[in-house]
Amino acid sequence: MSSVSTNLNFFEAKKGIFSWIFSVDHKRIALLYLYSLITFFLVGVTLGLLMRYELLNPGKDLVEAKTYNQIFTLHGVIMIFLFIIPSIPAVFGNFFLPIMLGTDDVSFPRLNLLSWWVYVVGALMALSTLVFGDGPADTGWTFYAPYSVKTGTNVTMSVLAAFVLGFSSILTGLNFIVTIHRLRAPGMTFLKMPLFAWSLYATSWIQLLATPIVGITLLMIAAERLLGVGLFDPSIGGDPILYQHLFWIYSHPAVYIMALPAFGVISEMLPTFSQRTIFGYKAIAFSSLAIAFVGYFIWGHHMFTSGMSGTARFIFSILTFLVAIPTAIKVFNWVATLYKGSINVQPPLLYTLAFIFQFMIGGFTGLVLGALATDIHLHDTYFVVGHFHYVMFGGTGFAFFGALHYWYPKIWGRMYNIKVANVAFTIFFIGFNMLYFPMLIAGLMGMPRRYYDYLPEFHLPNMISTYGSWVLATGLIIMLSNLVAGFFGKKPKVGRNPWNGITLEWQTLSPPPVQNFDRMPVLPQNGPYDFDHKPVIEE
Amino acid sequence: MENTNHHNQHDEVHISSYRDHWRTLLTLLLLTLVTIVISVFGANLKALSVATALLIATVKVVVVAYYFMHLKYDKKLYTWLVLLVAILFAAFTILTATEYFNR
Repeated sequence: MSSVSTNLNFFEAKKGIFSWIFSVDHKRIALLYLYSLITFFLVGVTLGLLMRYELLNPGKDLVEAKTYNQIFTLHGVIMIFLFIIPSIPAVFGNFFLPIMLGTDDVSFPRLNLLSWWVYVVGALMALSTLVFGDGPADTGWTFYAPYSVKTGTNVTMSVLAAFVLGFSSILTGLNFIVTIHRLRAPGMTFLKMPLFAWSLYATSWIQLLATPIVGITLLMIAAERLLGVGLFDPSIGGDPILYQHLFWIYSHPAVYIMALPAFGVISEMLPTFSQRTIFGYKAIAFSSLAIAFVGYFIWGHHMFTSGMSGTARFIFSILTFLVAIPTAIKVFNWVATLYKGSINVQPPLLYTLAFIFQFMIGGFTGLVLGALATDIHLHDTYFVVGHFHYVMFGGTGFAFFGALHYWYPKIWGRMYNIKVANVAFTIFFIGFNMLYFPMLIAGLMGMPRRYYDYLPEFHLPNMISTYGSWVLATGLIIMLSNLVAGFFGKKPKVGRNPWNGITLEWQTLSPPPVQNFDRMPVLPQNGPYDFDHKPVIEE
Repeated sequence: MENTNHHNQHDEVHISSYRDHWRTLLTLLLLTLVTIVISVFGANLKALSVATALLIATVKVVVVAYYFMHLKYDKKLYTWLVLLVAILFAAFTILTATEYFNR
């Protein structure tokens, strides 16, 4: 590491706002993403709380029906395109992938900065629908045609925003693929890479190959609205089912853009807090690729009731069941990793265990929806909303916050209050399940999704769900306050390796220096989780 | 960082000749001309007109990827990765067409 001239950490190296917003340092870009993402997440949460308040009782509680439609659309667009898709790759991938690979940055640092700027432009375009034209789109985040072609609300700007955000996603994916292929430390073969890197690799391929499809589809919506080209509207010769095909060809793999990085995070945290090697390293690594690959061919399960052919329904249902296999392989391996481990119960592990529990509920309810007969009953009910939130929020959301607690001391060099973090987690966990489990029940009872009003028999699950949203928000406020207080508080700085982890980021200073390492990182002998031959690193 | 450039040090650099570039350009122009002739001067291909246009475009893509984008001189792995995209595109088309024709 002869060229390292300074051990100044990346916060201290340069000062001023421009040193951040024009920085090409992957760590600073990661934090730019983090602050942006958390801001949009809080906007999305606020919209979610408004929706839940409206549904507290039958009839009008707060807003009119049209406003409600706009709120749930904006909630979906913000949470999907501005939070959950970029979340783990853009923040933790950007920050830790180069460090875990033992290098000083991603392959294309300027492209990395550009991807953040593109993200900001896309986000502003999405939010501009609040104040310009006829208000935000009221179509749902899926922008289904032909309604999206005909509604007077601001659909064109919303789809263009999603189109621009897609570029940010593509650029990040491209950067990660090249970084993983080209910049691994000497001796780090593909099968010696941490599993987080494997999960980002699989994710990046989906970002690169699937995102252009939704980009062109959304442009087709804009073309149909602005130029009257008959693509999806049957009254001018279009085919609305074609829109659903094109939309879901991207948006189902996009579910794995959201989920695979979370799997990677979980695969990092479990060995650290079990203090043993991960069970089935190769199985977990290759199952990420298998999920990414099979995930391309199952989009049709979103369309079982939309007039698709019977043959296609049958094919897509079988393919959907196939994707459960690599996912189950991961879960079995995670649970086996805990077996006979030296388990250290810390906040990140609590989020990990909650992830496994909630992701299982999300996964099993997914199988119920993937089966043709049961889907006919449950399609477009609150069961789907419950399932989706168990996977995306109970899974990826919890993994995101788990990762934030796990890598927090490495990023900021300080520790938050562990007891408060545990209390916040408990409230957050209870609130989450109070909020979303009743949705599964309401769906089974037959309550349709996206409805502004409902029949009296659905009152109880809706009431519990709304109360749950308040508990969840309380847990979230405590959690975020605790993390902010940890940064500004007087707790002593942490050392290099507060969790006794083994991957390369735990060998460097906290926070890391500008060039990531103050001395040459040492790879463990037998793979990235070889706790038996862990390199001894002095402070 | 020494290790950062580790892989790059062992890569062979290939510089294409002007002759190759001109040949590629001429091939692309020729294929564009063929597309125009077929569409404007009315070769009556009927159902095959879209397939023909796609076929010509595909040949152009292969030429660009192979010569201009250096796939020919790079590791075989990258050729396989590009083929993966073609396979995915074929799969999307076949699955969607299966649905459409059985509706």
